[in-house]
Amino acid sequence: MIAAKGFLMHARHPLAVALLALGLALPRAALADEAALQKRIDALEAQLRALQDQLTAIRADAKSAQASAANAQATAEKAVAAAPQAAASGTAAVAAGNAAPPASMAPYAFPQIGPNTVLSSYGEIQYNVPQNSNDALADVGRFVIGIAHSFTDRTRMAAEFEVEHAVTSADDSGEAEVEQAYVEHDFTDHASGKAGLFLIPVGLLNEHHEPTVYYGVYRNHVETAIIPTTWREIGVGGTWHDDTGWTVNAGLTTGFNLSKWDPNSDEGRESPLGSIHQEGQLAAAKNLSGYAGFNWRGVPGLEAGATVFYGGAGQGVDFAGKDAKVTLYEGHVRWTPGPWDLAALYAHGAISDIGDLNATFAGAPTPVPATFDGWYTQAAYKFTFGGGQQLGPFIRYEQYNTARSYVGLPVGFDVPTGPNNKATTLGLNYWLTPGVVFKLDYQWLRPDDTQSRFALGIGYAF
Amino acid sequence: MWPFVAALTLSITLAACGGGGGGAGSAGDPGLSDRAALGKKIFFDPSLSASGRMACSTCHDPAFAHAQNNALPVQSGGAGLDVPGFRAVPSLNYLEKNPSFFFDSEGTPTGGFNRDGRAQTLADQAQRPFLAAHEMANGTPDVVVQKLAAAAYADDFRRVFGSAIFADIDTAFLRARQALEAYEREDPAFHPYDSKYDAFLAGRATLTAQEIRGLALYQDPTKGNCSGCHPSARGSDGTPNSPPLFTDFTYDNLGLPRNMAIPANADPAYLDMGLCGPERTDLAGRRDLCGAFKVPTLRNVATRKVFFHNGAFSSLKDALTFYVQRDTNPEKWYPMGSSGALEKFNDLPPDLAGNVNTTEVPYNRKEGEPPALTDAEIDDVVAFLQTLTDGYTP
Ligand code: HEC
Ligand code: HEC
Repeated sequence: MIAAKGFLMHARHPLAVALLALGLALPRAALADEAALQKRIDALEAQLRALQDQLTAIRADAKSAQASAANAQATAEKAVAAAPQAAASGTAAVAAGNAAPPASMAPYAFPQIGPNTVLSSYGEIQYNVPQNSNDALADVGRFVIGIAHSFTDRTRMAAEFEVEHAVTSADDSGEAEVEQAYVEHDFTDHASGKAGLFLIPVGLLNEHHEPTVYYGVYRNHVETAIIPTTWREIGVGGTWHDDTGWTVNAGLTTGFNLSKWDPNSDEGRESPLGSIHQEGQLAAAKNLSGYAGFNWRGVPGLEAGATVFYGGAGQGVDFAGKDAKVTLYEGHVRWTPGPWDLAALYAHGAISDIGDLNATFAGAPTPVPATFDGWYTQAAYKFTFGGGQQLGPFIRYEQYNTARSYVGLPVGFDVPTGPNNKATTLGLNYWLTPGVVFKLDYQWLRPDDTQSRFALGIGYAF
Repeated sequence: MWPFVAALTLSITLAACGGGGGGAGSAGDPGLSDRAALGKKIFFDPSLSASGRMACSTCHDPAFAHAQNNALPVQSGGAGLDVPGFRAVPSLNYLEKNPSFFFDSEGTPTGGFNRDGRAQTLADQAQRPFLAAHEMANGTPDVVVQKLAAAAYADDFRRVFGSAIFADIDTAFLRARQALEAYEREDPAFHPYDSKYDAFLAGRATLTAQEIRGLALYQDPTKGNCSGCHPSARGSDGTPNSPPLFTDFTYDNLGLPRNMAIPANADPAYLDMGLCGPERTDLAGRRDLCGAFKVPTLRNVATRKVFFHNGAFSSLKDALTFYVQRDTNPEKWYPMGSSGALEKFNDLPPDLAGNVNTTEVPYNRKEGEPPALTDAEIDDVVAFLQTLTDGYTP
């Protein structure tokens, strides 16, 4: 990436333009992926130079300037088509979702703060007006600083520091957190491993949650309430990919801590797993969890994948939920034919062996759900304008239920399951440049119409 | 080896029983610091009172979760054990987590010792029983220290606090109270956490159908809502996985009926109004707090023979029925005045009746409405409260 910068600055030719576009898709990916991609970019650069030489040769041939251009165009398309594969290990370009931006915009590279060290950041500011406009809120939802460093071309680290809701102290509602901090090593060109605090490779959003990447002012409900984005654990993970578009992820990590469940708070109903995640904060680690998943990007513009996560949640605590286990699985597809961006995801969670624990929560408003799930589909279309601007109207329909079923509640003291929430979001993302986005949307929520809302947002990422 | 272990186990068991052992013996208690072992002796020593017949343990009987063992609304002390007190005796169990008094960020009074929170620490609290005319009635600290210097464990006291300790009255009195505090904090007899409910929370016992129903009614915010003030869930004091204390250490005004069995109440001008006095003096200006008393733990509540600060009720069933029928059937609880009008909330001056909590479940009903709990449901809650008694063996 960094090495590519100087070259891209002087790009003029359509071929270079196409590669430039590819290069620009990359900065929007998570910083972690950046480091992983650097090596590949170097390779691409070499390839590019080779192509340029070839091109010069063709030019020198001077038989037909026209023919040479057409030829170059064809080569460029091939390079772009290769992008999903290039990204396969890092999942960058495809997950980033923004189709290649136009050539007219200025090239961009991460600020380099050392020969092998880069800085990144993202932030989002939201303004939200629910049905009852007295509850309107404006919030610096997130501000994040990241740093990545390559020790060698095979070993690197990445870390992100995040502040949520602007102000953090004992009396404020903000949070300051280390969102990722891990080292990664490439064993071969196809296999790498990481260790530390890292994002679980699950769904479409968890690893790629920057505001410039997703549609709408707020992250979707399914990947917040069912999959607890931004979900990270401490552990080790491995990634393997081949040249035909397959990526396989697996790891062994810390997991959830059910002893934290609060039957008297709403948190567990808002996001069952979100209320018992540990985020690497003195995480009780008696029970380890494991995950395994795959992604397939064998057809340009298509990504299809699934992940399952499983682990004990009792964490050695002496309580009625000591044998509980959490299972989460999800499947997702994303297809970006031309300016279209189509996505769908289903996620299902279960917490087993909780009958005794729920008996202790008898009468309390929020027992532990045995199952919870949700799905969404989303369609967006991207208009591209001069100066790197893009306009992306989108519509998303979601259904999610954070308490699909209960077990262990005493007879006569059932707590109603659900609700089966339905959210329709209609909105617009406007990218001033690929790194800066303005958003606007309206969301209809059922059955709790009072939560329907209009929202505005600003986000950036580099 | 085994005989040694057995002997050790036995002695720990005996210590944990904490029994009415009267403070004999010279060696320290296993598991207790020297200070706490000394505190234990002081706790059980009747020679430290004017009557020679009253110790802390007289009113705080270990067999009754360190509360009174009789059904009197107030205990009598003094030289002749005939000077009546003013409040029912609270349990001393589970005070190890009781914070000092403070107003939280929302202005809610919280913590402190005694039913009005006027003592900041356990050691601070121990002044009154030693001195007050209606309790151990020593009048002044030097009398207490003289008695300590004459006690069987005076040498222990010197060993722990220095050979010249009795020469300095104030320090010696303070050390005696610190020793009591250490005992109350350290001895597991004050916080065994071994009720049936604790075993149930740990997944090692099951409750009967009635007890579970009672628990559900207790925790249901629309039925008993008891856990709103007497929390029953693990970790509810903010410490992860800590067992529930059944109090949040806040204060509330229940509007209890005046208990004419308390001698002081013969004087119509005498009003015990908790936080705003008369025992507590620093909040006298806070009229809005008049009538508020500390939420007591409900652990071991089934071992009590009188309930609430003024001992107005002598069965759990009555105490709970009052909770849910106070407003639906006030005629059951309050007397008719001379004018023929019901004197609701008659333990408060009429202009402060508005201080009574009438908005929170279960006492948010109006006359004519059904009570928050039926008679059978009250029985269920009582059955649940009985699972909170320590010393459960499956
Ligand atoms: C005559 C009976 C009696 C004797 C003797 C007595 N107490 Fe008490 N104790 C009470 C009463 C009544 C209260 C409640 C006082 C109040 O709220 O004002 C109380 C309250 C307490 C409290 C506060 C409990 C809480 O919930 O905050 C502690 C601690 C305590 N006593 C310790 C002792 C110690 C230690 C001794 C011996 C030095 C002792 N008591 C002797 C009757 C007695
Ligand atoms: C809004 C707070 C609040 C709620 C809700 C509440 N209590 Fe209480 N409870 C108190 C306070 C305060 C006291 C002490 C009042 C006093 O002594 O003046 C108390 C005292 C008691 C006592 C007497 C204990 C003793 O040691 O004398 C019992 C029993 C009791 N509560 C049971 C319950 C039950 C059962 C429920 C649910 C039906 C309940 N409480 C709901 C605040 C509450």
